[in-house]
Amino acid sequence: MDGERGQASIEVLAGIPALVLAGLTALQLLAAGYSLTLADGAAEAGAMAIAAGRPAAPAVREALPGWAGQRVTVEVRGGRLIVRLRPPSPIGTLARRLEVSSTAWVRRPGDG
Amino acid sequence: MSTRGPIGEAGYPVGPQRSAPLMLATDLGEAHGGLAVAAAVGVAVAVEERPGKASGVLLAELGAQRGRGPTLLASARARELEERLREAGFERSDPRFARSDPRFARVAARGRLCWLGLPATEEALGDLPRVLDAVPAASLAIVHLPARLWPLALERRGLWPRAGLLRADLPTDRALAALAVAELRERRLPVRVATRPLGRVASRRAVAGLEVGGAAARRVGRLARGLAGRAGAPAAERGQALLMVLGAAFAILFAAALLAALGGALTGTARVQRAADLVALSGARSLRDDFPRLFTAPRLPGGALNPRHLDRREYLARAAEAAREAATLNGVDPDRLRVLFPDADSFAPLRVQAEVAASIDPQALPGNRGRSSGDHLPARGAVRIEASAEAEASPPSSPSTSAGGMPTAASGGGYSGPLAYRQGKGMRPDVAPAFDRLAAAARRNGMTLVITSAYRSDAEQARLFEEHPDPRWVAPPGQSLHRCATELDLGPSSAYGWLAANAPRFGFVKRYSWEPWHFGYSRVPAPCSSAGNGVGAIPPIGGERLATEGLRAFVPSLFRAPIEQAAARWNVSGALLAAQLMAESNFNPYAVSSAGAQGIAQFMPGTARTYGLDDPFDAPAAIDAQAHLMSDLVRQFGSVPLALAAYNAGPAPVEACSCVPDYPETQAYVARILGLLGGAGELVIPTLEVRLVD
Repeated sequence: MDGERGQASIEVLAGIPALVLAGLTALQLLAAGYSLTLADGAAEAGAMAIAAGRPAAPAVREALPGWAGQRVTVEVRGGRLIVRLRPPSPIGTLARRLEVSSTAWVRRPGDG
Repeated sequence: MSTRGPIGEAGYPVGPQRSAPLMLATDLGEAHGGLAVAAAVGVAVAVEERPGKASGVLLAELGAQRGRGPTLLASARARELEERLREAGFERSDPRFARSDPRFARVAARGRLCWLGLPATEEALGDLPRVLDAVPAASLAIVHLPARLWPLALERRGLWPRAGLLRADLPTDRALAALAVAELRERRLPVRVATRPLGRVASRRAVAGLEVGGAAARRVGRLARGLAGRAGAPAAERGQALLMVLGAAFAILFAAALLAALGGALTGTARVQRAADLVALSGARSLRDDFPRLFTAPRLPGGALNPRHLDRREYLARAAEAAREAATLNGVDPDRLRVLFPDADSFAPLRVQAEVAASIDPQALPGNRGRSSGDHLPARGAVRIEASAEAEASPPSSPSTSAGGMPTAASGGGYSGPLAYRQGKGMRPDVAPAFDRLAAAARRNGMTLVITSAYRSDAEQARLFEEHPDPRWVAPPGQSLHRCATELDLGPSSAYGWLAANAPRFGFVKRYSWEPWHFGYSRVPAPCSSAGNGVGAIPPIGGERLATEGLRAFVPSLFRAPIEQAAARWNVSGALLAAQLMAESNFNPYAVSSAGAQGIAQFMPGTARTYGLDDPFDAPAAIDAQAHLMSDLVRQFGSVPLALAAYNAGPAPVEACSCVPDYPETQAYVARILGLLGGAGELVIPTLEVRLVD
């Protein structure tokens, strides 16, 4: 009888948590990166609205997919627009810590 | 323990003479490659070694044609065997001899094997007991010998072969193989016949003491299990799984980090492009804000300088300054920025182009030969442009009234809010800027998107369905998403692939797999929802009102009377005619354009004949014909901007889209005249939009 038979199966079982953790970490990284891309696009859409004399916040929300609507905050200071977006995460605290932001500036009507 | 028992059911059994178990191997008949097969079996057995149960594998080659040197990497057990044989009087490799010389090496640790070369003689057979005594009893000795020595080896006293490995080509050598197998079975020795040689690479690997891998490894594993009762067990059972799992986890993290780095690089590129977009928009915003000031009087009635007035140089300088400010505030070094005004030659430029350069040729500094107000960069050819964008202040694509039959609000469909127009097609106002961004991105990829259809009322859909009553291609009235004003049918067909890949970035999704042209706006509010009816309504920023008559000071006295007479005769605003003449020819009666337009009113010969104008260079007659034509156009289109667009571009494109066509020259022409009219009090404020065009 081979004494090591089945050893690999046990090791695979033991390694599953590490695999799952690595997978979740990778997904979280990708979610954060995707959120940054979305925030950039939304900030540009908001800035274009400002330049056209329209309110920025609706334009920002329109430029984001539905899930991001409750995760975004928009701050407008003059021509500066800051879009903050919390990436999707199973852990709320982690989502807050991974919050991404994108800033854009555009000339407002009547500036200067 | 039986000396005839099979090799190694639990390690290699040790004979009474305390020497290593012996496996004989040979090539029968014309077969070849037996040595490589024997070596591969030896490697397979060596791989299975575990502490306390085995001690290396020796491969003795009787009749070695060439010396075999030690390999750079060899197992500790192979080296130990090599050392023991050397101590027993067998030589190591001798660098004085060439590799082809049999004297080059007699003993060499090669990978997982220890190789021993012996001559193919009976004397060499006589040496074998000494060899077996020299190696540990727990080792396995495989002796490959020529077929002629095979019977002698079996009969030789002092040798106790435990197994036989035959290399034979079937069916050619079937008789020989059968005899050899029968003889070994008679001696109750396990025997296996390798009917195929290993491949060239596998053979080289095996003789070098390396695992052969691939399909050959499975064959060798079967041979080894048959002869030695071990070897060839799946690698996953060897306790390597944890390493593999950890490796997989690391690979996942590495791939994620790689993707993140790639994404970061793409984000960086996208941010530079975004900065260029915002720089161009800021410049256009400045132009749009300062536009009316171009047309104010330089001096106040009392003779003092008018602080509101801007000349063209100041107008452009302010726009360039706004662009540079936007660049700084968006993280772009102004030194990498070049601001251009493509229509800088006109009396009221309305377009801004922003270029962000990635690298600068120092040889070209500091010259600036372009019409650039960003005076830090050399001409275009000397720099690599990283991002470029163009924006303009232009008349709204949609008329503010229902001129030309274009409704300002949708009705009779699933959507009942205001409509924005692009290329003459109505859509929900939040869809229009998204389309602008999509179209700009397409232009950057060398494609010009065309909207073939957008909002359709139920009545229009019914008409369409009546023409094509096939619900697979035309939805019945009330069922098409086009009634929601969120759907665009886009072309040309060459852009379908690009659209499928990129439209989602701008919020558009391909609604149906079988309609590659149909894209719907997927962002909230949902199509045909009540929330959608109120989105994006652009607050009115001005509009047309009746003219206050009287010609501005820029009108030369020579032409005042003809303009006033023509205006009275054809019931057209004199200020409008004057502004048009200024934009057309700067009141030059002898102007000729590159397109062939002639005279102060820039008539094309065909149009001149239609309006009875024999000599376009006759200024009073040309002004009269101009007023006649404008009167007809205003009546036809019901809107001064559309009439002006038709004067410049011809009635057909204006009629086709009921809008100011998307021609840069025409849009700037209309905007300049509106500006002049604004300065003349003809309009409350020029109704210009700031938009990204490229």
